[in-house]
Amino acid sequence: MSLFVIAYYTLLLIASCLAAYFNQRSAFLLVFGLTLISFIVGIVGGPGALAVIAIVAGILALAAMVSYAFREFMIAIASHDMAKELRTAPLTAAFGMFIIFTYAVAGIFAPWIAPHGEAEVIASAFAPADDNMLLGADQLGRDIFSRLMYGTRNSVGLALAATLLAFIIGALAGLLAATKGGWFDQFMGRFADVIMSIPSLIFALLMLSIFGPHIHVIIIAVAVIYAPRVFRLTRAVAGNVVVMDYIEAAKLRGEGNWYLIRREILPNSTAPLVAEFGLEFCFVFLLVAGLSFLGLGIQPPTADWGSMVRENATLISFGDITPLIPAAAIALLTVSVNFVVDWMLHRSSGLKEK
Amino acid sequence: MVKSKDVLLEIEDLQIQGYSDEQWIDIIKGVDLTLHRGEVLGLIGESGAGKSTIGAAAMGYARDGTRISGGSIEFDGMELTTATEEEKRSLRGNRIAYVAQSAAASFNPAHKIIDQHTEAPLHYRLKKRLEAQEDAMELYEKLRLPNPEEIGFRYPHQVSGGQLQRAMTAMAMSCRPDLIIFDEPTTALDVTTQIEVLAAIRDIVDEYNTAAIYITHDLAVVAQMADTIKVLLKGEEVEEASTKEMLDNPQEDYTKSLWAVRSFKRPQKERPKNDVPLISVRNVDASYTGGEKVLDDVSFDVYEGMTVAVVGESGSGKSTTARVITGLLPPSKGEVLFKGEPFPPDYRNRSKDQLRQCQMIYQMADTALNPKVQISEIIGRPAAFYQGLRGSELKSRVDELLDLIELEPSKYYNRYPPELSGGQKQRIGIARALAADPTFIICDEVTSALDQLVAEGILRLLDRLQKELNLAYMFITHDLATVRSIADEVVVMQHGQVVEQGPKEEMFKPPHHPYTDLLLSSVPEMDPDWLTTLLEERGVDNVGEAASSDIDPDAGKVQGTKI
Repeated sequence: MSLFVIAYYTLLLIASCLAAYFNQRSAFLLVFGLTLISFIVGIVGGPGALAVIAIVAGILALAAMVSYAFREFMIAIASHDMAKELRTAPLTAAFGMFIIFTYAVAGIFAPWIAPHGEAEVIASAFAPADDNMLLGADQLGRDIFSRLMYGTRNSVGLALAATLLAFIIGALAGLLAATKGGWFDQFMGRFADVIMSIPSLIFALLMLSIFGPHIHVIIIAVAVIYAPRVFRLTRAVAGNVVVMDYIEAAKLRGEGNWYLIRREILPNSTAPLVAEFGLEFCFVFLLVAGLSFLGLGIQPPTADWGSMVRENATLISFGDITPLIPAAAIALLTVSVNFVVDWMLHRSSGLKEK
Repeated sequence: MVKSKDVLLEIEDLQIQGYSDEQWIDIIKGVDLTLHRGEVLGLIGESGAGKSTIGAAAMGYARDGTRISGGSIEFDGMELTTATEEEKRSLRGNRIAYVAQSAAASFNPAHKIIDQHTEAPLHYRLKKRLEAQEDAMELYEKLRLPNPEEIGFRYPHQVSGGQLQRAMTAMAMSCRPDLIIFDEPTTALDVTTQIEVLAAIRDIVDEYNTAAIYITHDLAVVAQMADTIKVLLKGEEVEEASTKEMLDNPQEDYTKSLWAVRSFKRPQKERPKNDVPLISVRNVDASYTGGEKVLDDVSFDVYEGMTVAVVGESGSGKSTTARVITGLLPPSKGEVLFKGEPFPPDYRNRSKDQLRQCQMIYQMADTALNPKVQISEIIGRPAAFYQGLRGSELKSRVDELLDLIELEPSKYYNRYPPELSGGQKQRIGIARALAADPTFIICDEVTSALDQLVAEGILRLLDRLQKELNLAYMFITHDLATVRSIADEVVVMQHGQVVEQGPKEEMFKPPHHPYTDLLLSSVPEMDPDWLTTLLEERGVDNVGEAASSDIDPDAGKVQGTKI
C-alpha cells in the first residue's frame, strides 16, 4: 500500500469523525459516504481511481472556496442594501458570478492578455502546445489561447448586444401593449405569434443568406427572433401590475403612457425581467455559436468560439481535445449564467428556503 | 346551557418568536389560556396583537418564519410543543379544525366542495365515501345552506361568499372535532351575510358541544359568539373575563378604549340653501362591456363641504357609481355634472383641472400605493403634476401634506410603502388625494381593511380635513357604524338602484324601505343577546341573502319623500 492511499483514507476518516463529533449531519454523511465508496473504488480501480476522486474533490473544493471568498469579497465592497441581497446568494450563484467576472476581464483586456494577435500565424498547422503556445496552434498555425481570449470579446459581446436589443424591443412592446390594451395589444400579440411560429435557426439562416453574414445583420436577426419571447413575458408581468389601484390613480391624474411605464410599471416588473435576461442570454449565445459553427456567423479571421470548434473539428478523430476547449468555454459560461439566474428567479418568485 | 368542566386545551406561558431583520423577535410574550370542552373563547385585539398566531399555536403549528420558543400547549392530555410532526398531523382536521378568514382563498378552486369536505374523514378512515357525503349534506342542511343535496357538487366559485364560509364551517365539522379555531370568519362578508354565518356557526357549535376559539377584531361579533373574551395587545394578555362582565365592566384602560371606539360621531350638516350641487349624478345607467346593467337610473347630489355615504351590499353598484363619476366607466345613459357643468364621460377627455377636482382614496392601501416609489414622490407627484411645483417648493408642499395627515415629515419622507403599517399607508393615500388640491374626494371603503382604533383615527382625520379644507366626500361603505359617525346624507343602493336617500338622522329613524331596514337590523350590537333576539324577531330563514333577495328594490320606494 502506497503512502498516498494511507494518507487518503486517514484524511477522510479524520474528517468524518470531526464532522460526527461536531454534529454536522450532512457533512458527516457526505464525507463518510465518500469513504465507503472509496473502499469499493479503491479495491476495483486501485490507487489511480482514488487519485482521480481526490483530484475531482480537490477541484470542487477549490471552486467552492473561490466562490465563498468571492461572495465575501463582494459583500465587503458592496453598499449596505446590495450586501444584504448578496448574503442570500448560494455558493453556486457566487461561482457563476465569479466565472462571469473572469470572462468579462478576459473579454475587456483580451489584447493585453493574449500573447499573440487574433489572426497572427506563428507556427505550423496543429502545432502542439509548448512554452510559447499554451494550448497549441489551430489548423492555420494561430495560437489557440490568444484566439480564445479574443473570442470571448466577439462571441460574448455579440450575444450581449443581440440580447440587449431583443430586450429593448420586446420589453418596450410588452409594456406598451399592457398599458394601452385593446387592438394594439391584440395586434402586437398576433405579430409576436407569427415570428415565433418560424423556426429560429431557419429564420436566422434565411436572414443571413439574404443580407450577408455581417455583424449587424446577426444582431438584428437574433434580436428579432428573441424579442417575441421577451414581449410575452413582459406583457404577462405588466398585465398583473396594470390592474393595481395605483395605476388607476395615476391614470385618473392624467399621466401619459410613458410616465406610467417608466415610473409605475417598470419598477414593479424588473425582477422577473432580469432573471429572464440571463436565461435568454444563454439561448442567444448558443444560437450565435451554432450559426458560427455552420459558417454563417462571425466570419474568419475574427476569432469566435463557435467557428473555432468547427475549424479544429478534424482533430477530434486523432484523440486531441483542442476543439473541445472553446466548446467548454461556451458550456462553462452558460452554466454560470444559469446559476446566477436560478438565484435571481428564486428571489423574484419569493420562494423560501426550507 | 350547562358546560362540562373538563379542560380541553391548556396553554401556559406561551412564547412565540418571529424572524425578521436577521434576528428573532418576541411576538407572543407569555400568554396563558384555558379552554373547557364546549366553551367558546373570543380572542380580540388589533392586527399584530398575535391573535392568529395563538390560534395556529393551539394546533401546535408555527407559521413560516416563526417558532414556539417557550411555554406549553396541552391538548386533551397531549403536549403539543414536544409532539412529533406525525402526532400533530393526526390531530389536525380530525380533532382540531380550522376555519380561515377567506373561504374563497382557502378552498381549492379545482375540486368540488364536497370532495374537499370528505377528504379528512376519508383520510382518517372514519367514514366511507358515501357515508361522508350523506353526513356532509346533513351538515349543509343544519347550516341552512340552500339545496343541501346539491350544493356540495358545485365548485367553490359557483357559490356565494357567505355560503362558502358556511361550507367551510361544515368542512371543519366533518370529523366532529373537539376544537375549532375560527380565524375572522366573517370579516370579509357583508353585514347581511354575516348574520347568517354567525347564526349557523353558533348553532352548530352548540349542537355538537364543540369548543371553539373565535378570533376577530369586531367586538359586537365576539359578544354574540363567545362565552369568555380575552383581550390581547402586542402579544400580551390585557384581561380575560366572561362576555357579560367584559362588556359591562371592563377593567383595563385599553379595553375601555376599544369599547369606546364606536362613540365617535359628528353633528349632521344641513344642505346649503339655493346652491348648485358640487357633483350631481343624473339618471345614470351603466354596464360593463356587453354585460347586464350594473347601474339603473341612479341619481343623487353631493354639496360642497358635505359627506354623502353610499351604502349597500357588495355587488349593489356602489363602486361602479364611483367609477362613473371618475370617468373610468362612461355611463350608457345619463350624465355627471360638476358645479352644474357636465363632466366629460370619459376621464381621457377631461382637462387637467377637471381631473384635479375629483380625487379618490382606495380600500386597499397595499394596492393603491406603488411599493417601489418613495413616499415623497407618491405625495409629491400630484403637486408637481398639477401645480408644477419643483425643488424646495415641492419639498415644503410635501412636508405640509405630511403634517396635515399627522405623520412626521422627516421620518417618512424617504420611506417606501411596504415599510409602513396599514393605517399609515391609508394616511399616505389621503395625502396623495389632498396633494391635488381637490374639492371632491371619493372614499371607497377606506376603513374596512383597518382595525377599529386605526379606522377611527382615519375617520377623525377625514372629518378634520373636511372642516379645514371644505372638502366634499362621497363615502362608499357597507359599515353602517361608519355612516352613523361621519355622514351628512345617506344613499342606500341595492341591485344597482337607489332604494332610499335622505339626511342621516331621518334615515336611521323608521319608516324605512324594507332593504334599509334589513341593513340596519343586520349591524351587530354590543348586546350579547342581540343575535338571539333578532333571530326570534325575524325568523332564522329571514336574514341575510335569503331576506335581501326577497326584497324588490321598487317596492315601497320612499325615495324623494324625505328630501
